[in-house]
Amino acid sequence: MAETLTIPRGRIDFPGIGFAIVLSAVIIFPLIVVGTWAFTEVWRYPNVVPQQFGLRFWNQTLSRADVWSALTLSLQLSTVVTLLSAAICLPAAYAFARMTFPGRNVLFFSFLAGHAFPKFGLLVAIAAIFLQLNLIGTFWGVVLIQLVGTLLFMIWIPVAAFQSVDRRMEEAARDVGASPLRVFWSITLPQAGPTIAAAVLLSFVGTFYETEGAWLIGAPGIRTMPVLMITFINNQMVIQYGAVLSVLLWVPSFIALLFARRIIGGGAFARGFGG
Amino acid sequence: MSAAGGAVQAQPEPLDESETRRRPYGLLLVAAPVLLVGWLVIWPIVSAVIRTLWQPADDGGYEFTLETYVFFFSDRYSLDNLTVTLWTTGMCALFLLVICLPISLYLRFSVGRLPAYVQSLAIFPMFVPSIILAYAFIRVLGPNGMVDILLNAVGLPKIRTPYLTPWGPVIGLVWDNIPLTVLILLSGLGNVSNQAIEAARDVGARWLQVLWYIILPRIGNSILVALSFSVLGIFSSFTLPYVLGPAAPEMMGPFMQRTFRDVNDPQMAITQAVITFGFCIVFGLFYVRSVARNRGK
Amino acid sequence: MARLDIANVTKLFGATRAVDDFSITVTDGELVCLLGPSGSGKSTLLRMIGGFEKPTYGSMTIDGEEVIHLPPEKRPTGMVFQSHALWSHMNVFKNIAFGLKLRRLPKAEITQRVEAVLDLVGLKGFGERLTHQLSGGQQQRVALARSLVLEPKILLLDEPFASLDQHLRERLREEVRDIQQRLKITTLFVTHAQDEALSVADRIVVLRDGRTEQIAKPAEVYRTPATPFVAGFIGQMNLISGVVSEGEFGHSAFNVPVAVADGPATLAVRPEALTLKPASGVGMGHVHRVTDYGTHAMIDVELPDGERLKSMMPTADEWSSMQQVDLVPGAFALYRDNAAIYRADVGTPPRKAPSRTRGTVNA
Repeated sequence: MAETLTIPRGRIDFPGIGFAIVLSAVIIFPLIVVGTWAFTEVWRYPNVVPQQFGLRFWNQTLSRADVWSALTLSLQLSTVVTLLSAAICLPAAYAFARMTFPGRNVLFFSFLAGHAFPKFGLLVAIAAIFLQLNLIGTFWGVVLIQLVGTLLFMIWIPVAAFQSVDRRMEEAARDVGASPLRVFWSITLPQAGPTIAAAVLLSFVGTFYETEGAWLIGAPGIRTMPVLMITFINNQMVIQYGAVLSVLLWVPSFIALLFARRIIGGGAFARGFGG
Repeated sequence: MSAAGGAVQAQPEPLDESETRRRPYGLLLVAAPVLLVGWLVIWPIVSAVIRTLWQPADDGGYEFTLETYVFFFSDRYSLDNLTVTLWTTGMCALFLLVICLPISLYLRFSVGRLPAYVQSLAIFPMFVPSIILAYAFIRVLGPNGMVDILLNAVGLPKIRTPYLTPWGPVIGLVWDNIPLTVLILLSGLGNVSNQAIEAARDVGARWLQVLWYIILPRIGNSILVALSFSVLGIFSSFTLPYVLGPAAPEMMGPFMQRTFRDVNDPQMAITQAVITFGFCIVFGLFYVRSVARNRGK
Repeated sequence: MARLDIANVTKLFGATRAVDDFSITVTDGELVCLLGPSGSGKSTLLRMIGGFEKPTYGSMTIDGEEVIHLPPEKRPTGMVFQSHALWSHMNVFKNIAFGLKLRRLPKAEITQRVEAVLDLVGLKGFGERLTHQLSGGQQQRVALARSLVLEPKILLLDEPFASLDQHLRERLREEVRDIQQRLKITTLFVTHAQDEALSVADRIVVLRDGRTEQIAKPAEVYRTPATPFVAGFIGQMNLISGVVSEGEFGHSAFNVPVAVADGPATLAVRPEALTLKPASGVGMGHVHRVTDYGTHAMIDVELPDGERLKSMMPTADEWSSMQQVDLVPGAFALYRDNAAIYRADVGTPPRKAPSRTRGTVNA
């Protein structure tokens, strides 16, 4: 059936080739340029290729104290936020998926509220409240604001994961003698595990790269990695610093890419956004 | 019926209590995230509206006033910022539609390795943090960037760089928003069955007619959702306009940030925030409604 | 080996009575089929025995011990689900061993018992397979093994073969019957397929709208159905509504003598008990359609009032469409108020009903 709609075998897929070339140029090419800069020691205009490759700037970047403190801080923040988020969201997700209680639907959709408003406007409104609470420029202020950002993901994806676990599997486990807690541990969690792990990873990476909350709430005391990047770019320091940091920062994102493919491929992701 | 005689005499207490008494353990489990949403999403919005409308009066009490709003809408600089934000948002929405609709249509009606490659490319930007994107933008399109280098190599003049012009944020934001737009449109196109298209072709419709009469009406909702989502993200975006955009006029995101931190005028900053809420409320409501309806199915 | 007593069990879902005042005693080693259309409450009943639903009223005892307040994990029952419900993150061995592990048996004994039960269900050497590497039939065997390995007192089978094709279903139900006979395990088997019930059960419970219609041996359910519903649900049956008056069941086409009080009644006669003969003159009805099954022929006869009856005859040769025929019921039963009031083993030749529009011809 699909054959009649698709490009017949043997004919050249011109639109496909066109899209592939244009998208490669627009999406891959800029990243290659960044990658090249990271391993360049001298590259003067108007040479097409750098005059000298080398790792000198990796040494320089990695020996900067502000880079290390930002990296440690970012990792600390992401870990704390992800753990807190998992601790409060996963039980909630299980409750939404498996229990009945008054107001279940309204509460479930209340998590959308954060996404129904322009994000930075909301951040400013929160910042106004943090100002009164003296949370501006503190570690926990940033934790709170980033925690709010993870809620929707960390509830909706695990809810879908829990719901997709066959009830009969859980009943079969009860039947052979497992207590409800044991069923959750041995059956429900392993079944929903991969999807939940992906959600946790997404939330970790998302928090790691979160810039706006950290910038607005954290500055000047809290300098995360992305915030440091912005200052590097704005101050027009050595070009390679930004390139090296970009390549470094790219690593967690790449891991996320590998893991999250299964969620995004499933289309569940797009539906979560209302597609 | 004789066997039932025992059960007929005065109905005994039901054994099954869950029918009559439901313990709301669930509420307890969801309490923490729900309270967090209440405290850090709902309350800030409500409080922002209240604080900008009821301000301390001279006599020590509070009075209803539109003072900050009046200032915003009479201030040349604020209005320029609002205009450039609206312009950027509109341009991004337009470009996103023009770019993503053909890609989605192609992906929906193709199978094989080339479409798979195109799809991974289209989704790729989702995994590129916007700060890395901003850096890449400068290195490629900035002054003496890679494009200038290549043009110079073949003897052409340099481009007029979009870096630090209103076009900078537009290019960056479009790049950033391609993945979700494509995904949402693809998900919508999934609802258009092959049979519906074949039936239309069968009665003699050409490809453009199929697109106009069959496909577009079915994915109209998805297009609106994709646009709403982009608009909500772009209207108050911060990082890309801050790094790539001009210093003046600036978009609402950087403007609010500067008002809050540098000018140190939180009152005015939340006024600006409430104004962005106002401009986006329609898109926000539409977005929530669509997602809720989708989940309800 | 166990005895199950269910007394006056009722299950309410809101206002609907899913199961209404159900009672039965299942004895040691017996296989009882719960048979009924969907929505008849058979699965709810099974799930209540397994502990997955709590009855609203009534009692259930296994070997004299009340189990109604026990959760599923504390009940000596083993359930096989329609969707097999195997745990896809464990291999076959781990699926079967899970229950034994919960009982903290030594490793060697677990291995030995799992191997034995795999052998019993004909899956020797499949222990390392993942569940999605098995065929539908094999998955269901693993599910059966998973229950059997715990040696439950009562085995519960919830339409275990519903998702399999006809051929496989027939083979598996014979295997299950063999295993059940060998282990002498008390078994309840839910199905909506009458052939399945007739072929494996010691006794059949026919359910309709949560109520028991009949509890009897398969042959009895088939030969002497207690209600018109059972008569219609099991095998093919002609059901004809009419009125008894002055010792005769009367219908517009024909009358049959019956020894019951006057009043409305339903006559039930199986196709194989309804013979045809060519009419002498104007018949009681005419042949509507002849279907030749090779081993026998099914003749649809249309009565003057438009009602159609099925008759099973040895061959199709003598019959053709529109042919006028007379009907000769053999064994039949008469129902009134949802109960049998009269059974005739050998047919009395029916008299053709007096017709007001056409001349009366007596048969």
